[in-house]
Order: sequence, then C-alpha cells, then structure tokens
Amino acid sequence: MRLLVLNSFLLSLAIIVAGGVIPLLTYRRFVLTKCLYISVTAIGCISGLYTISSAVSDPASLDWSWPWLHLFTLSFTFDSLSFFFLLPIFLICPLAAIYSFFYFDRAENSFRTAISYLFTNLLIVSMALVTAASNMLTFALVWEVMSISSYFLVMYDYEKKPTRTAGYLYLLFAQAGALLIFAAFGIIFSHTGSLDFSQATAIPDSAKLLVFFLAFLGFGSKAGIFPLHIWLPHAHPAAPSHISAIMSGVMIKMGIYGILRLYFVLGATDIRIGQTVLIFGMISGLLGVLYALGKTNIKRLLAYSSVENIGIILMGAGIGMIGVAQDNIIMAGFGFAGCLLHVLNHSIFKSLLFLGAGAVIKKTGTSQVDQLGGLMKRMPFAGKTFLAGSVSISGLPPFNGFISEFLVYFAAFQGLKYTNSTMLLSMMAIISLAVIGGLASFCFTKVVGIVFLGEPRTEMARQATEGGMFMVMPMVFLAVSCLVIGIFPAGFVELAFGGLSDIAFLRQVDAELIQTIGSNLALGTRLFLGIFFFVFLCRKLLYRRKEITAGSTWGCGFTRPTTRIQYTGTSYARSVVDFFRPFAIIRETDIRLKKIFPERTVFENRVDDIAETGINRGLALPLLILLGKLRWIQHGNVQLYIGYIIVAILILLLVLFI
Amino acid sequence: MESFLSIGIALLSAPFFPGIILKVKAFLAGKKGPPLLIKYYTLIKLFRKGSVYSTTTSFVFIFGPLVSCAGGVMILLFFPLAAIAPVFSFHGDVLVLFYVLAAGRFFTIAAALDTGSPFQGMGAAREAFFGTLAEASIFAILILFYRMNGALSFSDYFIGTTPISLTGPAGALLLLVIVALFMVLLTENSRVPVDDPATHLELTMIHEVMILDHSGPDLALIEIGSFYKLFFYSAFLTLIICPFNPSAGLVNLPIFYGVMALIYMAIGVTESMMARLRMNLVPKFVLTSNILVVFAVILTMGFIK
Repeated sequence: MRLLVLNSFLLSLAIIVAGGVIPLLTYRRFVLTKCLYISVTAIGCISGLYTISSAVSDPASLDWSWPWLHLFTLSFTFDSLSFFFLLPIFLICPLAAIYSFFYFDRAENSFRTAISYLFTNLLIVSMALVTAASNMLTFALVWEVMSISSYFLVMYDYEKKPTRTAGYLYLLFAQAGALLIFAAFGIIFSHTGSLDFSQATAIPDSAKLLVFFLAFLGFGSKAGIFPLHIWLPHAHPAAPSHISAIMSGVMIKMGIYGILRLYFVLGATDIRIGQTVLIFGMISGLLGVLYALGKTNIKRLLAYSSVENIGIILMGAGIGMIGVAQDNIIMAGFGFAGCLLHVLNHSIFKSLLFLGAGAVIKKTGTSQVDQLGGLMKRMPFAGKTFLAGSVSISGLPPFNGFISEFLVYFAAFQGLKYTNSTMLLSMMAIISLAVIGGLASFCFTKVVGIVFLGEPRTEMARQATEGGMFMVMPMVFLAVSCLVIGIFPAGFVELAFGGLSDIAFLRQVDAELIQTIGSNLALGTRLFLGIFFFVFLCRKLLYRRKEITAGSTWGCGFTRPTTRIQYTGTSYARSVVDFFRPFAIIRETDIRLKKIFPERTVFENRVDDIAETGINRGLALPLLILLGKLRWIQHGNVQLYIGYIIVAILILLLVLFI
Repeated sequence: MESFLSIGIALLSAPFFPGIILKVKAFLAGKKGPPLLIKYYTLIKLFRKGSVYSTTTSFVFIFGPLVSCAGGVMILLFFPLAAIAPVFSFHGDVLVLFYVLAAGRFFTIAAALDTGSPFQGMGAAREAFFGTLAEASIFAILILFYRMNGALSFSDYFIGTTPISLTGPAGALLLLVIVALFMVLLTENSRVPVDDPATHLELTMIHEVMILDHSGPDLALIEIGSFYKLFFYSAFLTLIICPFNPSAGLVNLPIFYGVMALIYMAIGVTESMMARLRMNLVPKFVLTSNILVVFAVILTMGFIK
C-alpha cells in the first residue's frame, strides 16, 4: 500500500517533468504547446493531490532513498508537515499554468515560453522534493535546483534592464541565503558526523542556537523576512504575473518550511529562539505593510504585502516556539497551526491577487495605480475576485484570512497568563497583529478603491476589457476557495493541526478543543453572512416601488469635475506613511518655478525602504569602493594572467613540500 | 427568552438615544433642540424615499451600507445587555466581533472611494488611519480584560464567574479603561473632538463625507448601523461602570437604560465643551487611550499573578 502511494507520487512528479519537456519539442505550434503543457501539468498536479489524500489516510510516513552516482544517498521522507506544504504547491501551480494560456499570448516568443514552461515544472518538482528531503545533501540539491530555476523564470523579459537587475539581485540573495543554510548544515555535520537530519537532536544546546540563527537568516532571505526581503519588490514586478503568483504564493513558503523543519529537527527549547522569530515576524509584518502603503506599482505593493504576511506567519511560528519553551501545549499547538493555516490561506489569496494584477497590467498596459481606475465595470470578474482576495488578505470575516489570524490571536492570548517577558511579548504581538490588520485593510482599500473603483484616470484604463476564460477561471476558483475556507473553517483548522501530527516534538492539543474552536468560528462567519443576507433582503423590500435615478457624483459645489481630481494612491496613504516617519522615509524631489515665465517643473515623491537604502549605503557601496581599489589586478594582459597561474602553483608547491 | 426580549428592545430603542445628545447640546447652547424622537422621524423619512445613484459607482457602493448595518446588528447579538445572557456567545467572540466591525469599515471606505469624489477619498483616508489606531486601543483593552479574567467573550466578561467590575479585584484599573474606552467611543463613532457630526464643511469631515452620496433607504441603513455601533460602545461602558446582578434578569433593564442615557448625556456635554482637534493632533488623542490601557496592563503584572 505504501509502495503504491510512493510510486504514484513519483509518477505524478514524472508527469510534471514530462509536461515541462514537451513544450521544447512542440514549440513551433504555439497554441498546441500551451494546451499540451497545461493539460499535462494539471494532470500531474491533480494526481499529486490525489496521492496526498490517499497517503494521509495511511498514518505511517513514506520513505524513499536513491543512491546517486554510487557516492551519495538521496533520501526523502514524507510526513504530515511535508504533505501540508505539498498542498499549496499542487493547488496553485496548475491554476497558474492555466492562467499562462492567457498571459503568454505572443507567438513570436514561443521558444522563450517553452523554456519558461520547462523551468516552471522544474520549480514545481524541486519544491515538492524540498518538502520531503531528509538528508542534508538532498536538501541542498533540490534547494539549489529551486533557486536556479526560479531565477530563469524571473528573467523572462531579459531585454529590459530592470528585469536583469531584479534577476541578479534575486540570485545574489538566494545564493547568500544558501551559503548561510549550508553553513548551518556544516555545523550540524561537524558535531554528528552524519548527513541525516534525524541525528541533529544530539548536538549541544549552544550549537543548536547558532545553527538555528544561521539557518533562520538563510531561510529568511528566501522567505522574505525584513531586512533580507530586498529582492522581493524587484523580482515580483519583473517576473510574469503567474510566475509571481507561484513565487509569492508557494516558493517563499519553502523558506518557512525550512525554518519549521529545522526547528523541529533540532528539538531546541531555548526561549530565545521563539522570541527572535516573533520579533522578526512583528517587524516584517509592520514594515511590510507600511512599505506596501507607500508604493504605487501594483505588483511591488503586492510583493511588500507578501513580506507582511510572512511576518504574520513568523509571528504564529514564534508564538508556537515560545509555547514549547514555556511548556504550554495550547499556545504551542495553536501558534503553529495558525502559522500553517496562514501559509495555505496566503498562498490562495496572494496568488489570486497577483493573477488579478497581471490581468489588469495586461489589459491596460500600465502597472501604476494612479493611472488606473473604474476597472470594476470594465473587468467585472477580475474586479470581483480581486475584491474577494483583498477582503481575505485584510483578515476580515467571512473570508479565510480571518481564520488563521484568529488562531494566532488565540495562541498569543495564552501567553498573557505569565508575568515575565512572555507576557510583554504576547501583548506586543497582539497589538501589532491588530495594527497590521488595520494597515492591511487600509492598503487594500487603497488598491481596490484606486484601481477598480471611481473613474478611469487615463485613456488606457478607459479602454480596458475583460480577459478570456483562461484568465477568469483560476481567479474565480481561488476566490471561491477563500470564501469556502472562511465559511467551513472547522475542517481546515483540523487540517492545519493534522499537519503537525507527525512532529514528535509537539504534544497534541486536545481534539475537542480544536473542534470547538472550529465550530465557533463557523458559527461566527456563517452568522455574519446570514445577517448580511437578511439586511440585503430588507433593503430589497425597502426599495420596492421606489424611484431610483442616476446622476453624477455630488461635487460639493464644484461644477467642472474631471477624473484627475480623484484621490490618488499616494495621497490616500500619505498621512499614515508620514506617521511612521523614521521607518518610511518619503523623498520628495520638487523643482519649482524660479523665473517669470512658465517652464517645465518636476515633482516626484517616493517612499524608501530603509533595508534597501541601509544595505546599499552600509554594505554594497563600501564593498564596491574597497574592491575598486583592487581593480589594477584586472588589466587584461593574458601573458601576465598566465604568470599569475605559474606563481600560484609555485607558492603552493613550496608550501606543500616545506 | 429574556435574551430575545432584551435584544429586541435594544434594536428598537437604539435610535432614541442620539436624540438625547442633540437635546443636551441644544440645552447647553440655550436652544430648545429637536424632539427626542428625531432619529425615528429621520429613518421613516428616509425609508419613504427612493435613491439617486452616481453613474460612477458600482455594486460596491451598495455593499457599504449593508455590511456596516450587518456588523452593527451582529455585535449586539453577542453582547450581554443589562447582564442578561446574550443570544450567542462563545470563547473568542470578541475577536470575531471587532473584526466584523472592521469589515464594515472596509466596505464603507470602499463605497466612499467608489464615488470618485476627492472629498470622499479624503474622508476615507482619515477614517482608515484613525480607525487603525483605535483598533490598537481596543485590543489593548481586550488584553487587560484577559489578564483580569482569563475570558475572551463578552458574556464571560460580565456574566461569568469573576465578572469585570469596579468592585471586583483590580477594579481601580478600570478607571483608566473607562477613560480610554470613552476616547475610543468618540473616535469610532465620529464625535467631537475627533469629528464634528454637525459640520457642513466637507473638507473638515471624516465620517459624514464618506456617506455623502448615499440617499434614501441606503442612508437609513447606514444610520441604523451607526446607531447600533454607538449603542454597543455605550453599553460596554455602562457594564464596566455599573455592576449588574445577572440573576435579577429583566429588572436590570430600567437601571441599564438609565445609565446609558447618562453616558449619552456625557457625550453631549463633551461635544458642547470641547472643540474638535486639529487633524494632526487626532492620532495623539487616540494613542493616549492606547497608552493608558497598556499602562494598566503593565500594572496588572504587579498584583495579578
């Protein structure tokens, strides 16, 4: 039985790889390539989902190892945490593939599209294997395949300079992160002498602290924790929209998976680990949403919003880790369950938002929020699903974002029972979660309000039309899933706890408490929806036989309104960004009229990310100046280069034989 | 049975109390003021009318009144008015309810941005900002109550085994909570000194300008939602100030509504005594309430182990 499940899982991975290779053979027939790719990838992912569901019923975990080149053993283990993280991978990726039918619409780019499809499927397979790797070498191999294939995906539009810059920045951070992760693995290996993860519990506690912090920084650069998130706001606008959806919805969660897996494997109970994770989570959450408010490029805004949600996920994980250290089962269980459920929820609604943003950008040709407007009437499906995604990401009932935030709150309130630093941190966590939620709804009312509502601000926005069926179907599916998870939360809360069931380190929370919380949440959201429908019916009754006329918006006495007098995104967010001044620096360039006659003036304002300016000024520029002083070594004279090689060999021979 | 009677009386009587505020303000200004039942007359007038919709707006414009009214009704269903058991209650319902109110705010703001008017955008930006700060204060109050009581439900706060009241343990801290909650009430319900509900200058409005384009029954639904929200915050203050005996049942109702009337009169007096604050001082006002409650929470570390 187990072998059958394992074989079907490997089969689905093989189908996905085949789906990536087929476009390279058929790329001359563009539409056929797209159809073949979508169907094969979808079959692979759906069979992967089916495998997960049949494996979950079998409680024992699956193991598989493969000797590679007769030197190293690659071993994989699937347990409950792996299966939980496989869910977003196999759910979001086929939907992104279907969306790519509409997004890649230029047949002259068909070879480039085929290569993009190949790397997409390599990404899917490597992410699936990351969740299962149980051996340091295996993990390193699939992690690197994941980073490199996503680099090639980001570089789809390589002719544009910003795309190239974004790609290099992403590769730099990915490799720096990998460096830190492998350093952490190296420390474990030096203590245990084995490449297997399960031996890691035996290392001394001080080493565990160092290993965790190195790995936290390494995985954090992939996940997008402040201040290592700098690549996110550049890479996501540069990549094609469905790639941004996969990266933001699924790939950055692999960083979270790494942090969680390493924490469970190390089995450390030092409270400082949880406190660090919680503090980084709070900072990422608050600053992420703050920078999202300050941005006017819709995809950059969504990228910073991903940083914010990673912050919330880390807060859940941090509260769980503090719960483990304080030996509070409920705090630990609900913290981690909130973290896991938010991983799933975020993958759903963030992918939805990125797909919607991609549709808007494709149809209007601009990604600047202040040049759009009135798209709800011109792109109704995109608008309605984007609205559903925005309400979900703001954590409002009756959608799914609220359910996971409730679990994190529940865990954080448990931390108030103590009288030490845990109480202060829990208090800060609850208040920051409340402020993050408020700022997130501020940010997304800005996006929905300025982009979809009001009047179109430019001609491009006025001419926009709805995309085809392939654009609408994935977005509708994702929006409906948001609502379903919100209205039927009990099953999903149990699913999140089920993801923790194989972790020997955590003791299980009482199943009855989980069911009670689930049914209470269901009562809350369904009651809200019910009252909403009741008020809707009352309104319909009140409007029977009433006169309804149309007119223009009340201009408060202003008789010549234009579309340009509407509020812009910058003005909407100005007061709150100004409030957080030391963290969000607003730079204004203002060239005013100096002479008598009118001439060209410029006004520009932008919100700077202090992490980016900090690393730029503190690390990158000094390093460039220092290394610039060594420029004289690179003179271009080949004979002297050969001379370098001879001198180096001579020195090495001298050192070895003396 | 008592619960249904209590909630029914609350839902029907909520429009009565804002008339008290108007009467108090008029009295302190030396005028006679509108009749006490003015809000009922307003609602009936609005129900009889039709609506004018702007050509710019979409379906989101209709969602604003619906969600805010639904939120106002829902929060009263969970609240133990006069210490009578509410219709619904579960552990953790306070979190659900404050997020439901936040959902109402989301859709009100979206409806305001839907009209494409700069004034409504301005009001929306201000409302979103001050609302976020007020949320922080409210959650600080929830933290304090959890420290005192271990409860996360309105009925557990006031009808549980150790109800929160001025006469209970750590009751002195509730004085700070009363001041903070009153400040939050003024912020969330757009009262002076945060927002003047009687102003006619759109540039200075926060809440009023967001609902400027609504008319007819839509406006009536918005007004009903705001009445219920103000009723909820006043009831919250009432139950903290004045301890009720849960076993007395419906007998508590006259005392409860009497204290509610006193609180509304206090709102009226505040509105007459203070001028509204300059916009950039409002965050300081709201954050003062936050600091008061955080200070109270830290004080609990001293005498609640």
